[in-house]
Amino acid sequence: MPTKLTYAQMQDMNQWLRESSDVFYFQCTTRTVQESKLFPVNPYIALSYYNCWYRYPELLRKISDAMSPEELGDRAREVSTSANAIMLGIIQQFYLGGRQYLLDMGLINATDGLEDVHFVLDFAQRVNRSYHRQSSYNLNSAMNHRSQILPERTLQVFEADALGCKPGDKLHQAVVKYLATASQYAFLKNCECRLGIHNSGPYKVGNHEMLVRDFVDLAEGDYPWMDGVASEIEYNNVTLPVIMKDTHFNIVDDWGSFEATPAYDHDNMVAVGLYTSDYLSNGYIPVHMNNASELADYLDHMRDQMQVATANLWKRISGWTRDQMIDAGLLVYYSVAKDLAHFAGVYSEEDWFTVEDRVQRLKPIMNDEYGGMAIAELVGYVSLSSQQGSPYTMSKFSNAPGDMWSAVPYSPLANDEFTAGVGPIRGGSTSLPRKTAKYTTTRGKLTADEANALARGFEPPIIEGPRRFYDDQWVKYHVGTPEADDLYRRAQESSIQLKGKGSGLNASDIEALRRW
Amino acid sequence: MSEPQILDSKWAKPAMSEVVEFYHTAIRKLVAEKFAASGKTWQEAVNDPAMELTRADFEKIEADLLATGYRFTMSADVSIKEEPEKYKPIAGVGNSGNQIMDEQGRMVVGTGDNVFQAKDVEGIARFIGTVDVVMEMLLGGVPEDTIAIIDDSGGTLTAPILEGFKAVVCMGGTTRSHLGILTREYGIPCIMAAELDGLGEGDRVFIEYSKPAGDAYAERDEAARVRISKIA
Repeated sequence: MPTKLTYAQMQDMNQWLRESSDVFYFQCTTRTVQESKLFPVNPYIALSYYNCWYRYPELLRKISDAMSPEELGDRAREVSTSANAIMLGIIQQFYLGGRQYLLDMGLINATDGLEDVHFVLDFAQRVNRSYHRQSSYNLNSAMNHRSQILPERTLQVFEADALGCKPGDKLHQAVVKYLATASQYAFLKNCECRLGIHNSGPYKVGNHEMLVRDFVDLAEGDYPWMDGVASEIEYNNVTLPVIMKDTHFNIVDDWGSFEATPAYDHDNMVAVGLYTSDYLSNGYIPVHMNNASELADYLDHMRDQMQVATANLWKRISGWTRDQMIDAGLLVYYSVAKDLAHFAGVYSEEDWFTVEDRVQRLKPIMNDEYGGMAIAELVGYVSLSSQQGSPYTMSKFSNAPGDMWSAVPYSPLANDEFTAGVGPIRGGSTSLPRKTAKYTTTRGKLTADEANALARGFEPPIIEGPRRFYDDQWVKYHVGTPEADDLYRRAQESSIQLKGKGSGLNASDIEALRRW
Repeated sequence: MSEPQILDSKWAKPAMSEVVEFYHTAIRKLVAEKFAASGKTWQEAVNDPAMELTRADFEKIEADLLATGYRFTMSADVSIKEEPEKYKPIAGVGNSGNQIMDEQGRMVVGTGDNVFQAKDVEGIARFIGTVDVVMEMLLGGVPEDTIAIIDDSGGTLTAPILEGFKAVVCMGGTTRSHLGILTREYGIPCIMAAELDGLGEGDRVFIEYSKPAGDAYAERDEAARVRISKIA
């Protein structure tokens, strides 16, 4: 039986596959090899790819059945969660990494899992397009490494409510110290990977630029190993809009990392805010932003909590077996799509924190050297046998005759053999203790069932009903209308400076109203 | 084509590394043997649990490689602790005896790329390479004047004690690595991609962190690299 996919669908699939392959190659080769003396990083990365291959088709269909990819992207854009530019942009990458390894080992053929591959890639592309709707791109790299995610109504609040600071003052010192501690904590709780840190922007603020800095999954939540050690962390996700003078962020890449010209220097920070948000919040909620002193005190308080959590978590992790370290790391990577399940109200620990038996069987070959070289060959050297192409071909960045992810042959359209998918999820396990604590949300500490029930019944007022489609292009021609004012007032509801002001404010109005 | 396609790949070539080539070749061979013996079509075989390679198959493949005398290079402390028989011993910092002297007549025992421009630092070199060393410093405090010598560009091994270091010398990564990011955030002077020659535990060193930050995208420039000079 021929595939039910059309030629056009397969072309769309291969175009996105190739775009993904090229941008992932760029990201991987402009970084260094990820390593840690604490975690066997590359073995767990390699294993995570297989878990994605075997489990994403069923789990992403489960999410998609509850909420469309477009709505998921729309929801994610309004708040800062782990469904952000880095995690959403990487869903198809890890999945295709699993496919490529299995191809190279001869465990699958290039036409195997055809309809799964199409579904997963289509899902990921649609979520990303929707999340990046503001810029009309699908990845930061497509916008020349710029990450313009947020609409004006949100950015105006960030600018107006930010609190001024200068080098040496209490708030400035607190922010600098907090950013360092939060970064370190994020690397540790994410098992050495940078998925807990995200940046978007830059956004133009007069002669300055704003970078929106997010730290996600900080509290007791999805990662079972945070139970207990993170019990005092009050907010799971925090966002700091940071406004900088004399700094141009020339790169905010697909992994949420930034580079600036001249180099980023805290001394150029002129204003900052602090917010929390999640899949249950109506946009961003300000945190202790009544004045600079209050904000500084709270940042210091959060920093103290994180330092204690860092020490306790490190002690816990340092007592783990290698298998536990592998499982934790691979589950961090594999679970990049988990917050989409939260948005859709179908989250389950079993779904997102289980290592499938088909992956467990591969562990015996995952010593440190094989893991390291397998990753280096796959995403750096592009030297695996299955990655090679005709000697005439020149890939986008390396000019080599091969690509990171091999395209899907079109031959199933000509009745060539193929298989539709990898079949249902099988049994699995994890060497880590299961969760015992509740999930930290903006509605309090909840069980998974409670959080799912709230998520299923929640439509954020900011994008409720037709407002979901009132983007900045619509606002441009409807400023001052009841609908536009209503939209902006919903975004300004928690704002200190802009509450109730509506849609008519321009840049000079915000400058006159802002607190710095 | 009702068989594993990789065996017929027109543009196939060996993997770059010995261990990947050994494993993947062995796996392909095993898949082909199982498939040939099954009498099934590829479509029937590919998702059939009875046809799948098992954990025992993968254990045997690793055992076959180890039986050749091959030993793996470790990256994580826990790996060599749990299975020392599988890994090569850890190599320490060498001493060529061919070190040059700096302008003050001190032996230059290493160079590296500066993460950010800071002040020059003098301190005691202490190697931080295992969980045990970090735990000792976490419980007992980081000794004063410690310049941490770390052979890991990650940010997790030293997470609970990083703030206690006077400066850092990292023998891996680049200025964009996680450790580089963290030391910059903390304002702790740091050089990455350090190459050491003759540096020992407890040596008193002078490091010229006042040099400009290294450019991760530029070609290596020896003159731009920060020097580590041994004082005593």
